[in-house]
Amino acid sequence: MLSIKNLHASVEGEEILKGINLEIKAGEVHAIMGPNGSGKSTLSQVLAGNETFEVTEGEITLNGENLLDLETEERAREGIFLAFQYPVEIPGVSNLQFLRTAVNAMRTHRGEPEMNAAEFMKLAREVSKQVDLDPAFLKRGVNEGFSGGEKKRNEIMQALLLQPKLAILDETDSGLDIDALQVVSKGVNALRADDRAILMVTHYQRLLNHIVPDYVHVLAGGKIVKSGGRELALELEERGYGWLGVKDEETTPSAAS
Amino acid sequence: MKPAPTLSSAFLEPGRQSLPAPLLELRKQRGTALVDMPLPTRKTENWKYSSRHLKLTDELAATLPATGKDGLSLSLPGYRVVFHNGVMIPEASDFPDLDGIRIQRFADLDDDEAAALADRLDNTLDNRAVQMARLNSARFEDGLHIQLDKEAVLDQPLFIVHEVTGTASGSAYPRIYVDAARHSQITLVEEYLSSGNEPVMVNAVTEFMLGDGANVTSVQLVMEGENVQHIGATGVRQAANARFESHCVGFGGPLRRHDLMVRLEGEGGECKLNGVVVTQGKQHYDNHTSIEHVAAHCNSEETYRNIAADQSHAVFNGRIHIHEDAQKSNANMNNKNLLLSTGAEIDTKPELEIYADDVKCAHGATIGQLDKTSLFYLVSRGIGRREANTLLTMAFINELVEQIPVQAVKDAAQLRLNEFFDQTFEEA
Repeated sequence: MLSIKNLHASVEGEEILKGINLEIKAGEVHAIMGPNGSGKSTLSQVLAGNETFEVTEGEITLNGENLLDLETEERAREGIFLAFQYPVEIPGVSNLQFLRTAVNAMRTHRGEPEMNAAEFMKLAREVSKQVDLDPAFLKRGVNEGFSGGEKKRNEIMQALLLQPKLAILDETDSGLDIDALQVVSKGVNALRADDRAILMVTHYQRLLNHIVPDYVHVLAGGKIVKSGGRELALELEERGYGWLGVKDEETTPSAAS
Repeated sequence: MKPAPTLSSAFLEPGRQSLPAPLLELRKQRGTALVDMPLPTRKTENWKYSSRHLKLTDELAATLPATGKDGLSLSLPGYRVVFHNGVMIPEASDFPDLDGIRIQRFADLDDDEAAALADRLDNTLDNRAVQMARLNSARFEDGLHIQLDKEAVLDQPLFIVHEVTGTASGSAYPRIYVDAARHSQITLVEEYLSSGNEPVMVNAVTEFMLGDGANVTSVQLVMEGENVQHIGATGVRQAANARFESHCVGFGGPLRRHDLMVRLEGEGGECKLNGVVVTQGKQHYDNHTSIEHVAAHCNSEETYRNIAADQSHAVFNGRIHIHEDAQKSNANMNNKNLLLSTGAEIDTKPELEIYADDVKCAHGATIGQLDKTSLFYLVSRGIGRREANTLLTMAFINELVEQIPVQAVKDAAQLRLNEFFDQTFEEA
């Protein structure tokens, strides 16, 4: 489904991704782990089409189509979804309006009729229950005044509404308490499907206790330095990143000193 | 050195004489006072950004013919008064006879009524600030006098449509005077429209006198075309415990200049002034507001938003003057501005003069662009660029549009805003 070949990307002239290769098939769940600054978030942003990052080399295809030729909104319509690490607050635009506009943009793209306000309200109420959000949030501004956990649940709700082919979850577990983590994990697990792939970007392995990946990759210094199965995440938890010759200030204090 | 330009005498020759004698007399006096009036230049502080957009050719001095009812836009519901080219058109107007409320055309006033009005006309205007609006008093050719007796309540909004037709060059000087006696209540909607392509000037003045506890809402929608220079002034005086609310939504043109002056003269008075301005192309819009806290214990709340696209230019100048005896005044002014292109310009200037020591006075002004991170967030959900930009721009003014208390005005403003978004934002 997703094929990344020799991907190089830089921001303001500084190269962050230095030749990433990754193949993800439909139905698979991949986790990308790595220390801070390894390029994990950059990879997510580049996949979604953030223009702040310049792709200098390599290719990304989604079901054979060159993603790099597409604008962000076109990628979204082709089925790329990024759950943001830091969801944006947009006062003045209601969640309801935002979500309905997004769902209808997708429907229009697929040649389906738009949903009217009443139809969408019904759908939005149902889905909001799946992620344990009070439907009253629909009337508030986009993410406005939301707690960290509410923002992350809103991201998962969007994924459930938009039904992407590839869902990229950027540090979706960060800032979540254990209850919120379970709600979010339940939502992500509800996304798992034979025709959908999930790419989780995370610093810690605790999310992987709830959403069990098929493959784990370690990203360091802008490259994937090791790939393995579920057991690799557990090994990383036990041994840190040091044994891979990778420095990480946060998880292995000894390596930082 | 070139001599300073002065007002051409052609502007001091009103075309119509069908007014009661006291008003003709007043108009003549005001005209005499304007002979050789210096026109604003770049050095005139309160016209600094706008003087070069003021183009008073002699052709503009002509009185525009009023054609009557045919071809006027009469989409507004409810009570309605229609002015065409500065003259009231009775057959296009429609309002009932209401107890305690008199809505009279200037031409229909008897001499006593006209003399009483002549004594009051201009008494809400600060001559220093509204130099160009003084021309209205020397030229008005018709007008509307609205009087509410004590405790009279107009049960639905009164719409005043000011339409000008630019089939020939000329100018129109509509004039409204509202006397709202104590505890009376009215919502007045003024809509400015135009048709035709020849250069036209509209010079409109509306005055509100509020008695104790009166409650007046003024809604203005300025939507004239690219051939119209619009100069407007609104003067307000409030007695004790009176409440005044203003909602202005304006779209740009070759020149739009509006002065809004409010004087809080009795304790417990309250005013709320909201404004939205949208400019595009090479348009120019200049709002000057002035709030005078003359009496103690008054509140004022002012919120203006400007949006400028292309090479357009918007100006906001907000003055708050708290007089020495106006203790316990509470004044809040907020002006936010959105630049939609690198060629657009916005100038904003809060002016605070505070002479009392026990007051709360806050002001804030910002100028910014649409937030790129927010835009990325929206398009990453499949929302197109045009729609995403539209959502973010609407978010900037939504709060003010939502507060407009008249649905027909909200709808008309939204339609025009949608045109603006379509013209301004492109799909990727």
